[in-house]
Amino acid sequence: MEHLVAWARGPAFIFSFTFMVLGLLRHLALTFWQFSRAWRKAGDKSLPLKKVALETLRWMFPVNCLREQALFSVTSILFHIAVLVVPVFLAGHIALWARGSGWSWPAVSNGVADVLTIVALFMALALVVQRLAAQATRALSRPQDYALPLIIALPFASGFLVMHPALNPFSFDAMFFLHIMSANLLMILIPTTKLVHAALFPDLQLVSEMGWHWPPDAGSKVGISLGKEGVRL
Amino acid sequence: MNHRTRYSYYVEERALQGTDRPRRFLQAFAVILEHSNYGLPLEVYTRISAKCNRCASACQLYQSTGEDRDIPCHRSELLLRIYRRYFTRAGVLQARLLRGFTLTDAYLDELAESYYRCTACRRCKLTCPMGIDHGLVTHLARWLLAEIDLIPKALLVSVREQLEGVGNTSAIPVPALRDTCQFLEEELQDLFHVGAKFPVDVEGSEFVFFPAVSDFLLEAETLMGNAAVMHVTGGSWTIGTHNYDGINYGLFYSDRMMERIVRNVAREVRRLKGRKILVGECGHATRSAWFVPTFCGPDAPEVVSCMQYAWKQLQAGKILLKDEKILERVTYHDPCNIARAGRITEEPREILKAICRDFVEMIPNRTRNYCCGGGGGTVSIDEIRAFRTGPMGRRKADQIRQTGAHYLVAPCANCKKQLREVCQDNGLDNVQVVGLHDLLLKVIDFGGQDASGIPAGDAATES
Repeated sequence: MEHLVAWARGPAFIFSFTFMVLGLLRHLALTFWQFSRAWRKAGDKSLPLKKVALETLRWMFPVNCLREQALFSVTSILFHIAVLVVPVFLAGHIALWARGSGWSWPAVSNGVADVLTIVALFMALALVVQRLAAQATRALSRPQDYALPLIIALPFASGFLVMHPALNPFSFDAMFFLHIMSANLLMILIPTTKLVHAALFPDLQLVSEMGWHWPPDAGSKVGISLGKEGVRL
Repeated sequence: MNHRTRYSYYVEERALQGTDRPRRFLQAFAVILEHSNYGLPLEVYTRISAKCNRCASACQLYQSTGEDRDIPCHRSELLLRIYRRYFTRAGVLQARLLRGFTLTDAYLDELAESYYRCTACRRCKLTCPMGIDHGLVTHLARWLLAEIDLIPKALLVSVREQLEGVGNTSAIPVPALRDTCQFLEEELQDLFHVGAKFPVDVEGSEFVFFPAVSDFLLEAETLMGNAAVMHVTGGSWTIGTHNYDGINYGLFYSDRMMERIVRNVAREVRRLKGRKILVGECGHATRSAWFVPTFCGPDAPEVVSCMQYAWKQLQAGKILLKDEKILERVTYHDPCNIARAGRITEEPREILKAICRDFVEMIPNRTRNYCCGGGGGTVSIDEIRAFRTGPMGRRKADQIRQTGAHYLVAPCANCKKQLREVCQDNGLDNVQVVGLHDLLLKVIDFGGQDASGIPAGDAATES
């Protein structure tokens, strides 16, 4: 088991982490490249940047968004806070980074991390239940929409048991292995599923705005390419 | 022959003749992706769509029907699925390995129905955490459908008349336009004792005027209001006889048509050596005109809405108002095309507050307003009236009812037609749908004129 744990936190982690970072960079680079190409082609290059920035901030701190679907919104916001704070600001994680790279940053206390972990677990479950409970979300949902909150919950549940051995009915190593491997899986999934919004989120409003900025002659060129230019309507 | 059995709306015969529609649709999709900028949003939307369902709560149609097909995200997925399957490497690979989705005739029929159940009002965009603009997806989907001739006949006939017929969507010939302008001038003289003119083909004017051309047939008081404002402010304006139609149904079904129509507007301004485009009371005409810089470059004429002009002149003290205000309760409907992005929301309100004693807001309003129910050109499709005023318009009818207003001001030709029908079909018989300039006209002080010029019984006023 020790070998497995060493493999999981060694090569498997390095692979998953690198995959995630490179994958997200690829998404960012592709989006940036497509955006700049679209902007170069656009007839009207003026973009309402202030409005776009405000809209982006509105969704980064979505207080106003509680007006609609309040229960779902609260669930989602709490879930996001927990899944962002715990992995990055857990003292144990920071210590590992400090040992490996020399970088460190302030941590949240383990008590806060515990609370947020429990919040993450309950909210993940609540997201799935709410998705199942409403006809509209059932109609929209793909398998990944149900699976992802549960997969995200895995490293939190296993991490909690690693931190609290007295509550852990399984062996420490087995739980530690599960914790690292579920986190590794998640890092693979981030750039390959809708979780990619973790990186693309700041660009999304800009992308939608750019969608209305067209090349001046796109219509004529389409007409020529389809052999319809000059053809009566 | 009209084909209504297959779709809710009439289409032309040729729309049903093609045997290889999926291939032609995909060919058009590929060509549009090559020449347009739609690839960027489609690529991002396919990756990040979270299927969270927030958009459903924003959609007035879904609020009414509760049908899965009316969830904005569900509708957008219809097109995103095609994009993902045929235009992404992962989709092509997945199809080779696992088969899966294939574009069929039946699927195209579903698209044709679904994208005309959306008014492209873009209210749902405000509620999408991922910023997905479902209105943009509807806009593109309709263009793709148009390239395989799936276009509501009402829209196609109007654009055909505008681009290949008389030159405007209402098929009003120039002599009829001149007669109408003369008639309106006489009306202004008779009713208000004012010599306001409708200048025609005056070169070098600051503004060339583009109302929704249907106003010449249906909205005399709005146009008289426009002329009155220009008269009292000494505005330099003209109507051009080569193009006097601000309507642009290209916005509703084809960027190819939109480009041609917008260029025709700019061409008329240049012919008349005008400097600015003055758009009448019309939401989509204004939004289409805002695309002038897209199609005509940075030197394109500036676009000014008649409401922006009127408010600026009112602020400058150039429009004198009578002491009497409009007495009846007035409410204001924000046309989606000018309000959703927050571009014109305050000017009409400021004018109304200045001229009405009892102005009340609809809730919600401004950028979060509900569509009249006839947006995206659907108001022109008479055969779907029951849908427009029923499931699509019911939410708006409730909003209007709650205000208790007598005058419902809607500065948009399409909204006005739709809202009159919404009121008729939802028992709002006491509501009068009018333009902003209709009310403004009633209270402009033309200088020592007698208030008895106001048509009796048309507007109660107080001193």
